[in-house]
Amino acid sequence: MEEVQRQHYTDKERQEIFNGEFMPHIRSMYNFGFRLTLDRDDAKDLVQDTYLKAYRFIESFQRGTNAKAWLFRILKNSFINDYRKKSKEPSKVDYQEVEAYYNSEEVDRQITPDLRVESLKDMIGDEISNALNALDVDFRTVIILSDLEEFKYEEMAKILDIPIGTVRSRLHRARNLLKEKLSEYAKSMGYNKSNL
Amino acid sequence: MTKPESPFLKQDGTKCSCMDMLQQMLDSEVTDEQREYFKQHLDHCMPCYKNYDLEMTIKELLKSKCCGSDVPSDLLQEIQMQITQKISS
Repeated sequence: MEEVQRQHYTDKERQEIFNGEFMPHIRSMYNFGFRLTLDRDDAKDLVQDTYLKAYRFIESFQRGTNAKAWLFRILKNSFINDYRKKSKEPSKVDYQEVEAYYNSEEVDRQITPDLRVESLKDMIGDEISNALNALDVDFRTVIILSDLEEFKYEEMAKILDIPIGTVRSRLHRARNLLKEKLSEYAKSMGYNKSNL
Repeated sequence: MTKPESPFLKQDGTKCSCMDMLQQMLDSEVTDEQREYFKQHLDHCMPCYKNYDLEMTIKELLKSKCCGSDVPSDLLQEIQMQITQKISS
């Protein structure tokens, strides 16, 4: 992220920024926290911690710039640095395994043969949410940022500290993996080509 | 009628594949000209048409099913309380 000159705000300005530019994103922030931790209490802690950090570092924030992307970046870093470390469980994602997967031919194929729009439209319960939650956190994150929060590649690259090219390829692979999960659900619901 | 030149170009100046175009459309990383070109492309490319339809359905499902969690009211209160404490201290 580019160097930003420290700002000097009065107490009144701090409150205006906090209430006017940060708090309106709380719903998206809570959803992001929940989708990362998959636990409502952990999501609450993570969001609260993020907002307190945002207040503490408010002088690094330049008014009128993208507050949502800035807040998402803090939340993502808090998740990686604090939450994952605190958690007794080892990280579910083996980084090397993930990278090896990124680079394999396997994930590049177009997955569509047994997934059809009709079967998707019958998924009225939690299937889509479960499919999203079942993805490894790195893949889940790019789907959330792009499809739920509509961030652009450039903003995602800043939030995640990765190059734009990696954003694109990770998104592409995440979408394929999500389709794979969804087609498993579709199969388990009894949909296949022959009965549609 | 000659086909219009593709406005989807890679860095080396070659044309993007169908899959590349589709991905840029899905990620809303297109210009108006590219969007228009892609829409016309869908009229004569069945695989793109089907994939785009499927991907857009997934995108809409994600938006409607995965954004809805209400923020717990005590979270808002706690944040406000802690900030007020910081200001007054």
